[in-house]
Amino acid sequence: MSSTGLLITASIVLSFFFIFLFLLYYKYLSVKTEVDVAANNENYYDYSSYLIDKKKTSSAISLNSFIMNDSKSIGIRFLITSIVFFFIAGTFGVIMRVSLFYPHPTLFAGKEVLYDILTTEHAILMIYMWAIGSALGLAYYLLPRFLKLKSDKFGNFSSWSYWIWLLGGIFILLSRTSTRWYYYPPLALELTPYGAGSMNWLAVIGIEMIMIGVTISAIVLVRNIIYERSDSIPLSKMPLFAWSVLFTLIMFLASAPFLMTAMIMLFYDFVNPVFFTGSSSSPLFFAELFWTWGHPIVYIAILPQFGLIYEILPKFTGNKVYSYTSGVIALGLLLPLSELVWGHHLMESGFGIEWGLFFSTASLFVVIPSAITVFNYIGTMWTATKIRITIPMLFVINGIMDFVIGGITGVITAVLPLNEQTHGTYWVTGHFHFVFMGITVGIAFASIYMLWPSLTGGRVYNRRLAGWHFALTAVGSMIMSMGWTVGGFLGMPRYVSGYFARYQIYQDVAIIGGVIIGIGQLFFLANLLLSMSAAPQTETSNALEDAYKNLSMAGGE
Amino acid sequence: MSDDNHKKKMKAEALWIAGFLVVLAFTAGLNFYITSQKDFSIATKMTGSNSIPNGSIPIVVTGYQWAWSYTYYNSTGKQTFVDNLNITVNQSYTLVVTSIAGAQQFAVIHDLYIPQMGIQIYAVPGQNNTITFTPDKTGTFVIECVEYCGYEHYLMRGYLTVVA
Repeated sequence: MSSTGLLITASIVLSFFFIFLFLLYYKYLSVKTEVDVAANNENYYDYSSYLIDKKKTSSAISLNSFIMNDSKSIGIRFLITSIVFFFIAGTFGVIMRVSLFYPHPTLFAGKEVLYDILTTEHAILMIYMWAIGSALGLAYYLLPRFLKLKSDKFGNFSSWSYWIWLLGGIFILLSRTSTRWYYYPPLALELTPYGAGSMNWLAVIGIEMIMIGVTISAIVLVRNIIYERSDSIPLSKMPLFAWSVLFTLIMFLASAPFLMTAMIMLFYDFVNPVFFTGSSSSPLFFAELFWTWGHPIVYIAILPQFGLIYEILPKFTGNKVYSYTSGVIALGLLLPLSELVWGHHLMESGFGIEWGLFFSTASLFVVIPSAITVFNYIGTMWTATKIRITIPMLFVINGIMDFVIGGITGVITAVLPLNEQTHGTYWVTGHFHFVFMGITVGIAFASIYMLWPSLTGGRVYNRRLAGWHFALTAVGSMIMSMGWTVGGFLGMPRYVSGYFARYQIYQDVAIIGGVIIGIGQLFFLANLLLSMSAAPQTETSNALEDAYKNLSMAGGE
Repeated sequence: MSDDNHKKKMKAEALWIAGFLVVLAFTAGLNFYITSQKDFSIATKMTGSNSIPNGSIPIVVTGYQWAWSYTYYNSTGKQTFVDNLNITVNQSYTLVVTSIAGAQQFAVIHDLYIPQMGIQIYAVPGQNNTITFTPDKTGTFVIECVEYCGYEHYLMRGYLTVVA
């Protein structure tokens, strides 16, 4: 099909999509009006509080959360959607991994571009939909209790932000883009199946919508933390998770404009290429703008989870966090540092030694706050009299260990001479999958397991299935990332659907790991279905939300 | 937990932080030391004629969708290779790398990577990047493109043969 044909098909599909959305919105409005009238008759402030009072389901997974605008419902929306996208993008990941079994393309022989599409979608969806989505979901869900919010206004702004974010994610899925998640221009502008994919423009719109959505959410949350916090909680006593969310969102708001501007200019370049491919410009300008955002996003994906570790650890060690002050300072230090190290993604692009050394040294400085954070976790566990090993605790311990390995591989690649060897190889892939699998995925699941009774309306999860979920995720990610790290140091290139036969052993090891991770996530699904089909057995409270109480040895799971 | 115990652990924490700061400082020092060595070279934007060191043979490397082409001058005149490159051991070479548009394609960003030589350099349209290296062993090594550049990116690879 020609690219014009594709465009026409796309427009028709999009029109139907919008008609469907309109119908959905119409249905939503009519239901909302009914509830509004009922709420008005009984003198309720708004329909959400009416529904919460009547149905008592605001903190559990249900379709109600998609029409109610209180913080918890918004949080559940974000959580449900991010998990759905986690499974979509995870499936993409497993499929493309399996396709690499032989050095030459076999599964995708003749249509290798499918591999590129899957890789790109896997990266974009995992970062923008899963990492940001789950962090926002947990923030919306946990902060009302953590901060004892005075009022929960601006719910419809959050609701709008959610829908815009979701639509952006769907656009990215539909766009079948095959450029990379960093959209380097001359390629991103090549709207053919051989370049960036015929509908890459849709992905650019999708990214822009995601950024707008998350920006609205970020402003609402920052406002909640600073102005709506209960007067009984001074900043100096705020839970560490609230601090981490605050730092994350400030980091987001400070760096997102770089990407939003760059994406608008990129979109303009589709029509009239002046910004990045003109005679007086360089494609590297875009790369520099992108990584000014692209490095903070990496911290945005792990900082909220750092805060969550601080909240989860004391529940199972029974003591306080080792040092609250150093925890806050370490999280805060990442804020300025994250904006200074973007150049380490471009060290081989012709900066020369001087700039290379600057970014290399700045990247080494990032180790200081990260190490203080890890020492803080170890100190908390060390000063405990007894540690209760439960599923969330296992995820936390595994996350800390994975983060240490991921951090060390990151430092190695930040050193200028070694960067020449490891940049653009699977070493980097291994490095961030250690961190993302251990921290972003592991801690999100740890929190979901801790919130389980509340999220499912008083049901408990099957420990045995959860144990398998943990074991397969931990072992699988270790095997996969180790295969990549070792192969990458020997020069195995990233982003290729075929490779030199000398790297087959490392790819095959990584495939085994990837498939193990994929199977592990099925245990989570089975657990969810099994516990939802059983009758409620327990109270809907959970330990994680009691931020000011250490449950010590009893409960807390 | 007694206060005494807590103090002891505080000392241990301080020791850890000091210890890893030493390791970090050592790493940073090593970083500065190695990059100051004469034979260390990293991708640098070519601005003047002095970018190519004396006694180093320039090889013009052009990346296009989807192959590498290498041009250099030696005793037999101008030579051009596609994908595979043959060079001599213990001779200094300077790669001048850029990117051009192929037949009906775009000039996009590529990244030339020779893992066994520790050489990596971006090919950016409209910009010449240089890097100098001296092969000190003979054999056949691999050349790869490690920046995604389109449909046949994975085939943008070849062999580097170093002969005595």
